Amino acid sequence: MIDALEILVLVATGALAVFGVVLTILNRPPDRTMRLAVGAVEVLLVVQAAIAAVRVFSGTALPETQTFLIYLVVSVCVLPIATQFATAEPTRWGGTVIAVGAIATAVAVWRLQGLWLAGA
Amino acid sequence: MPEPARATSSGPGRVLIAVYGVFALSATARALVQIATKFHEAPLAFLLSLVAGIVYILATIGLNGRGPGARRLAWAAVGFELAGVLIVGTLTVLDAADFPDDTVWSVYGRGYGFVPLVLPFIGLWWLRHTRAR
Repeated sequence: MIDALEILVLVATGALAVFGVVLTILNRPPDRTMRLAVGAVEVLLVVQAAIAAVRVFSGTALPETQTFLIYLVVSVCVLPIATQFATAEPTRWGGTVIAVGAIATAVAVWRLQGLWLAGA
Repeated sequence: MPEPARATSSGPGRVLIAVYGVFALSATARALVQIATKFHEAPLAFLLSLVAGIVYILATIGLNGRGPGARRLAWAAVGFELAGVLIVGTLTVLDAADFPDDTVWSVYGRGYGFVPLVLPFIGLWWLRHTRAR
């Protein structure tokens, strides 16, 4: 994977988690700014997943390809689902729901990097 | 006048469901990969991982649902989860040899930041907090 992009993704998901918790503390439901932030992070995740997938299918050997691909799918899917669930009931808790999704995504990216390094 | 039960899927309950959903996904997916790729290495641990994953799925469905049926499901699943993490956690602390590969409940969920140990307590508290009274 690309180290710079991975670090950017981890920072972005971390910032998103903080943003979500701040919204909860401020007693505000997820707003348009939050949707844009989620969208921006999601773009990064999709780019990262696309690059990694192309490399895997063009011959980069990994010890656990299956697991890697599952984590790759998880890294892209969790945030949209969490955001959908967070905004279905517009309360202050929506921000924390997005934060949970962002942290889970960060963990998945972290595991991806570990699996990738194991193959390098 | 008795107060009816409140929805477990409202307000902070949604955060709880999100955490349960993440664990349902990760524990089940991990167990399925382990069973598909290296079942013979530690069949007991991998089956236990799968049971844990299913329990998290049922808890997520129960907490997210409405009505007495969903609430009963949530009670049963979260109760089972608490028993599971305490029993498996204690067994793995006493004798690591019987569990050669990690499960989500090994050593009280150490591999997952001990969230698996804390989660059922919060789940049971939330079910009690929102019950009819």
